[in-house]
Amino acid sequence: MNESIRKQITQVSFHGTARLDARLKLFMLVMLGIVSFFVNGDIPEIILMTSIAIFVCAGSAAKWGLSMLITYIIISYLNTYLSYVTIPVITLVMNIFGVTVLKIIPIVTLARWVLKSTYLDELTVSLERAKMPQAVTIPFVVMFRYIPTLLIEYKIIRNAMKIRGISDTFLKVIIHPFATIEYILIPLLMRCLKVSEELAASGSTRGIERYNKRHALLKVKFGLAEYIILVFVIMLVVFLFLLDNSSLGQINIWRWQ
Amino acid sequence: MIRFVDYSFCYEGMAENTLKNISLEINEGEFVLLTGRSGCGKTTILRSLNGLIPHFYPGKTEGELLYDDKSLLELPPSEIAGKVGTVFQDPRSQFFMTDTTRELAFGCENMGYEREEIIDRVEKAVIDLNLEEYLNKSIFALSSGEKQQIAIGSVYALNPKVYIFDEPSANLDYEATNRLASIMKNLKNAGYTIIVADHRFYYLRDLIDTVVYIENGSIESKYTKDEFCNLNESIRIQKGLRTVYPDKEIKSKINKLTGNKVPEKNNILKINNLRFSYNKKDTLINNLSLNVSSGEVIGILGHNGAGKTTLISILTGILKEKSGTVFFNEKKLSATKRRKLSYLVLQDADYQLFTASVNEELALGIRKVDEQLIDSTLQKLNLLEYKDKHPASLSGGQKQRVTIGASLIKNSEILYFDEPTSGLDYDSMIRVSNLINELSRNGAIIFMVSHDFEFITHTCTGILDLDDDNAQILEANNDNLQKLANKYFGI
Repeated sequence: MNESIRKQITQVSFHGTARLDARLKLFMLVMLGIVSFFVNGDIPEIILMTSIAIFVCAGSAAKWGLSMLITYIIISYLNTYLSYVTIPVITLVMNIFGVTVLKIIPIVTLARWVLKSTYLDELTVSLERAKMPQAVTIPFVVMFRYIPTLLIEYKIIRNAMKIRGISDTFLKVIIHPFATIEYILIPLLMRCLKVSEELAASGSTRGIERYNKRHALLKVKFGLAEYIILVFVIMLVVFLFLLDNSSLGQINIWRWQ
Repeated sequence: MIRFVDYSFCYEGMAENTLKNISLEINEGEFVLLTGRSGCGKTTILRSLNGLIPHFYPGKTEGELLYDDKSLLELPPSEIAGKVGTVFQDPRSQFFMTDTTRELAFGCENMGYEREEIIDRVEKAVIDLNLEEYLNKSIFALSSGEKQQIAIGSVYALNPKVYIFDEPSANLDYEATNRLASIMKNLKNAGYTIIVADHRFYYLRDLIDTVVYIENGSIESKYTKDEFCNLNESIRIQKGLRTVYPDKEIKSKINKLTGNKVPEKNNILKINNLRFSYNKKDTLINNLSLNVSSGEVIGILGHNGAGKTTLISILTGILKEKSGTVFFNEKKLSATKRRKLSYLVLQDADYQLFTASVNEELALGIRKVDEQLIDSTLQKLNLLEYKDKHPASLSGGQKQRVTIGASLIKNSEILYFDEPTSGLDYDSMIRVSNLINELSRNGAIIFMVSHDFEFITHTCTGILDLDDDNAQILEANNDNLQKLANKYFGI
């Protein structure tokens, strides 16, 4: 028994809200994502974004939470500024783009944090305890593990395209948007197929298909902390919808004077 | 312990049996090397042992495969997981978790062990395989060799009696390969049964008990360690096998390369005081100066992390240098201009195939498409019959030749190859070597990143070792190659 090695094995790299059960995190992601899309008022939206930022900052990701909150505020101001400038078609397109980006920022903030702060074995065990079938848990875990890989693969493909001289300049991308997407997707798909086959084989030979109960390296529990946060989240969602439908939800706070 | 009894296998949808009447006995504690040309069936044998055949790769089996006298074919991979552990070729696509500690625990968690037992097993793997420095790291931050060590550790924690390695050295540099050999030695000394399929096997020459040579799906010959290591050179080459002693069989090929033909062009690439660093602390490439002309083939060497890929990225214009200049025929080249002159053939051709047919692939990115040039290029590369086929349907070697074809159409003056022979058998390696030599004779300046010593001695006119403090291009003569061999093979 080597105490120092055992301590390292059971070491926890994330703290605070990051240690909440994965089921709760996924539930929050879905609920708050829905809120982000359906709520329109400036005040409810900023309350949502701030709540998410606080939550994320309490989960070992202060830099990410704060920087996304600041980005949100800047884009909100810019978006409102656009309504003072009236160029016929462009203003409308930029406005729609801006509103969509603003709705996505809270979701991305929460999602990336969930991705990074969740231990994948705890995710598997959590989903198992929620009685999800293997046909759901395995693809889920693979998706979590594959998303960072996707970014690496994308970069390699972009470099390969530059070497080939296809869609290597900004201008070329703008002029041939669909061709560019095709050039990126085809190698990405081929790699995806290869990697997923190899991953499946590797998992298979290490027993991923077994039906026994799994234990994660650290304890997985949906306990008091989870229930409290669950209640809080539900209350927040209801509160935001009510606020949105009241007169406070109509106020425009991003004003340029 | 393991017995193949007249075992045959045909993959679903294939016309012919991949394995034909295999009869083989593997004893407990034995170290077996399976080798043969690409496609001979060695991987199929491994897949039959770990249950992937027939449960993951469906097909028809004939005969029997017994493990301790019980049929292995009836057990699914999840049942075999505790008895037979597999380490695959590509370390990048083997890990399921995103951090190393959990990856080590992955197999144990699947088996349903209690938490304490999982910690015990992971602890044992960490101690026995020296993995302490890799605990709690993101797997994405590890090198290929380190990823593979974690993969082995993950299998070790399951404590199977049989270890299977499928081409484990294909993605490793010489340092990592030596480490792999010492891990395998420890496993062998601890009494585990080990079965390795590989094209490169010099690192196993002290560990092998039996070598099984497979040709066209059947066992053509079996050798003891001594018989195999002393195999006559002409017989070895006829069988398509690499040498067991690449350090002793250095035959510099320079005379053959520059001897007869003078290259058609005479371009000169000059690099002055190139410097690059990713952060403020360590300078990866420091004051590098070189002079290369048409017809030269330069091997870029060094351990993983020495800066080989970075150097190539800078020279091909994907990355911008921090300081220093690159001249081509006396003209200064910016990164964008370098890109127009260069072409890089990546290790994995899948990243470089963008279209639905070989013909389209060669016509890509070219303004005026010359049908005749495309046809003649395809002819030269033995790809004319595949002109209208989808690149995804080609073999690895054929895909590689398609990307080389694209460089010929682009008329690139400088060609870069990143590990062109990883995972290739002897015949394919020689074919790539000959192709590169022909390209250099036609006037191209060629840079190659490679860990394949045999390939380097067959192909390079000069070597650039980035492990050296003052890296210079050295002539690839017998002396310098012997010094390199001493470094690689730890003599």
